[in-house]
Amino acid sequence: MQEADNGLADFIVSHLTKKGATYAEARLETYSGDGFLLKNGVMDAAGFETTTGMGVRYVINGTLGFFDINMMEKDSVIRTADASFTMTNSAFKIGDKVKMSEEKAVKKKYEVKEKRKLADVDADEKIGYVIGLDKALIESGADVTTRYLSYNDGMKEKYFVNSEGSEITARIPRVDLFYLFTVKEGNQTVQRTHSAAAAGGFEFTKSWKLEEEIPREAKALKRNMKEGVKAPAGMTDIVVAPEVTGIMAHESVGHPYEADRILGREGAQAGESFVTKDMIGTRIGSEIVTVVDDPTMENAFGHFLFDDEGVPSRRKFLMKEGMINEFLQNRETAAEFGIKSNGSSRASMYGVEAILRMSNTFVLPGKWKEDELIRDTKHGVYFKNFMEWNIDDLRLNQRYVASEAYLIENGELTRPVKNPVIEVNTPALWGSINAIADRIELHPGNCGKGEPMQGIPVTMGGPTLRFRAPMR
Amino acid sequence: MVPKKTKSGSKRVIPSDNIISTTEKLMRRLLEAGANDVVLNAATIFAQQTKFANNKIVKTGTSESQHISVFSVWTKRVVETSLKEFTDSHIDELVNKASKFAAHLPQSNSYDGISDGPFGYKELPYDKTIKLSGEKHADITEGAVNAALEEGAKRCSGILETHDWKSFLLTSHSVEAQDQGSSVYFSLRAFVDKEASGHKVAASRRMADVKFDDLARTAAGFAVDAVNPKPGPMGTGFDIVFEPFPFAILLEHAGSSASAFDVDAGVSFLQGKIGKQVGSSKVTLADDPLVPVGYGSTTYDSEGVPTGRTEIIKDGKLMTYLHNTSTAKRYKTKTTANAGLISPHHWNLVLEPGKKSREELISQVRDGIYVTNLWYTRFQNYVTGDFSTIPRDAIFLIKNGKLSSSVKGIRITSNMLDILKGIDSVGKESENIHAWEVDSSVITPPVLVKGVNITKPTA
Repeated sequence: MQEADNGLADFIVSHLTKKGATYAEARLETYSGDGFLLKNGVMDAAGFETTTGMGVRYVINGTLGFFDINMMEKDSVIRTADASFTMTNSAFKIGDKVKMSEEKAVKKKYEVKEKRKLADVDADEKIGYVIGLDKALIESGADVTTRYLSYNDGMKEKYFVNSEGSEITARIPRVDLFYLFTVKEGNQTVQRTHSAAAAGGFEFTKSWKLEEEIPREAKALKRNMKEGVKAPAGMTDIVVAPEVTGIMAHESVGHPYEADRILGREGAQAGESFVTKDMIGTRIGSEIVTVVDDPTMENAFGHFLFDDEGVPSRRKFLMKEGMINEFLQNRETAAEFGIKSNGSSRASMYGVEAILRMSNTFVLPGKWKEDELIRDTKHGVYFKNFMEWNIDDLRLNQRYVASEAYLIENGELTRPVKNPVIEVNTPALWGSINAIADRIELHPGNCGKGEPMQGIPVTMGGPTLRFRAPMR
Repeated sequence: MVPKKTKSGSKRVIPSDNIISTTEKLMRRLLEAGANDVVLNAATIFAQQTKFANNKIVKTGTSESQHISVFSVWTKRVVETSLKEFTDSHIDELVNKASKFAAHLPQSNSYDGISDGPFGYKELPYDKTIKLSGEKHADITEGAVNAALEEGAKRCSGILETHDWKSFLLTSHSVEAQDQGSSVYFSLRAFVDKEASGHKVAASRRMADVKFDDLARTAAGFAVDAVNPKPGPMGTGFDIVFEPFPFAILLEHAGSSASAFDVDAGVSFLQGKIGKQVGSSKVTLADDPLVPVGYGSTTYDSEGVPTGRTEIIKDGKLMTYLHNTSTAKRYKTKTTANAGLISPHHWNLVLEPGKKSREELISQVRDGIYVTNLWYTRFQNYVTGDFSTIPRDAIFLIKNGKLSSSVKGIRITSNMLDILKGIDSVGKESENIHAWEVDSSVITPPVLVKGVNITKPTA
């Protein structure tokens, strides 16, 4: 990041304040990264990107204005600022009167270290990694009919400055590998899509062990189609692996606890929430369930130490021992609630406003060993992973369809089950959890919210756990 | 700024001299460095947005950007990047990096060239008032919110977006094209309470085509009628009348599945179905980039090939996939001018309208459901087309040809081929949809689909 651009960020904050803004902040970002796409063994596309741009937010007459620009000259920035100011001033008559929680000014620099710097790993090695995974998939012996793998990495440097004296510089590298494949068995096909990702350097590609996991999945899905039985119908003991625990926590705990949804600010986009402002302390799950959102986990894909309003991040206990405990807050929603922000405001890039986002959301571990939990289950279904899922926009009515699943018979995983479905309401799901294992995994995702759509790095996960729900 | 003539001879307002000269310089440098095929697409974009919630504007947004998208091929090694700072040193840095980057890549057997120009192009309407509309956003928003409140809504949330852009496309294959465009997108969700809401969207290249207050009244009308919803039914074989908005969400999946890239990638339920019946005889689905005020309209694709109407499905039969020059050669056909240089895509997906009004569609249904919006459509298997999606906002039962009670809590659990084959009647009143779950532009009337499965949680 160039010092001259930092100076431009400082300048625009001062400029806006002089023009009457009661608050102003600038978020200057430089991103540099590589990407490779391998489709059915052919490198369809590869590329690199370097982007610099600035997003600026301010309050004038109580109305919130935002503008962004990628032309880093003073004249251009002033021109865009003027156009934005004119528009925001005209919005005053029906503008919401924005309040912001009082937060301490922060001056800080931080970075996530890379053992193997993404920028120093040459393209040959990155390509070799993707081609190696593709080869492992072919050599799995499963009849794989389509293969799609994409690798992306990049370093994002941010300089945040606001009119209250905060100046924060952050450098966070991220690397991710996405895959989707189709396995055929006779007239049937089954698909699997997943990804692995980290906030860190190229060293993480080794730790994922995808060269073992992807072919294992392909073989398991082949067996699933060949030998799979129908899921038992009716109320069933369901044991879900961390990948499924994670999506449940993300969709039906994380999202409905976002204070902007609760206040209706995302009403026409990602929707609202069944949770209301006064539900803190309400029981929603069984007493063994605690769900947290924690951006401070250094190499997790959703890591950050200061949010995009300059507020320090921390672990939030969203659901504590089954009770609704805390919502995700930014400075605007915190002011509405009369509390402090808990540092949950993020933007996917400089060109969009920061809104409330999850980071690393997961169920805390319990006391059971995974094998003991299975042994304790007489009859049930084990969801190893999932493909289709959705949830309504109040976050009550949710559905998860397994990709790889097995029957549990007399405490043992036995035959594969074809596409078992969990379709359940949120309180029924979290209220029926009766056993939680002691080992957690985090699985990455790009969570979508906002308009224009902002895909943001998160993880979701937790331990293997058991609940009772209707199965079909 | 010097007006230039396009190859078709008409005068256009063009991007700045600086962006054109930078693009030309970048082209020269890439070819000198050894690139065989190059496509440069330069654009300057000015966009404004007003976001409102609970009847108040909660944010204004203004965005200004410029960039040159760079597609370069070095002996069948494809490198994509972009230039955002227009100095000689940045040009040199990009060219050097692209050249070195390409040397590492394996050849792409799926790349088979770009089209040779020059071409002539048609023109589309450009609404110059859109760029200057930022100050009017508040009045438009206030008017629409008030219209919804008068209709009985208690609160409204939504977005008003306006875009103005200029673009200049230059290829190593004698294509030079310039264009300018404008667009407006409006979304309003009206609430009476948490469970009673209505949502409408509209999109166009021209401001005057969006009837903001009418849209708001319709959304509010849905919300008012949807109060006190009861748990909805579940089972098989439901007749469903879809409003244009939710049906556009489903059709967009049909459009993306028609991309030759998606077919090869294993994310298309149209794979292997050319010449086969994939919908009922009522379904004619085309890509029409030349709809004069279509939100996704364009006169040329990303290779600079002049666009035109392509029938994807005719009377229920799959006629073609959507192609760029490379995918077309692989499929032994001609480009449909749908580049996407890597992945072809539709511009305006148009479902050919029928002759029945919305009321006539509803009157045909003895026992069914009227769906005004969908949400969170996800696939279990993209190749088979198995998916589920959640009706959101106002949902009504249809009894003996008339709308009856409002319901909630249901899910459509179906298959894309079953949906297309189940189309019984297509309405006549088309709407141009762009929305949170419709990235592109889809033009569709309301549609009656028979035989749809509904599921819901039983705990």
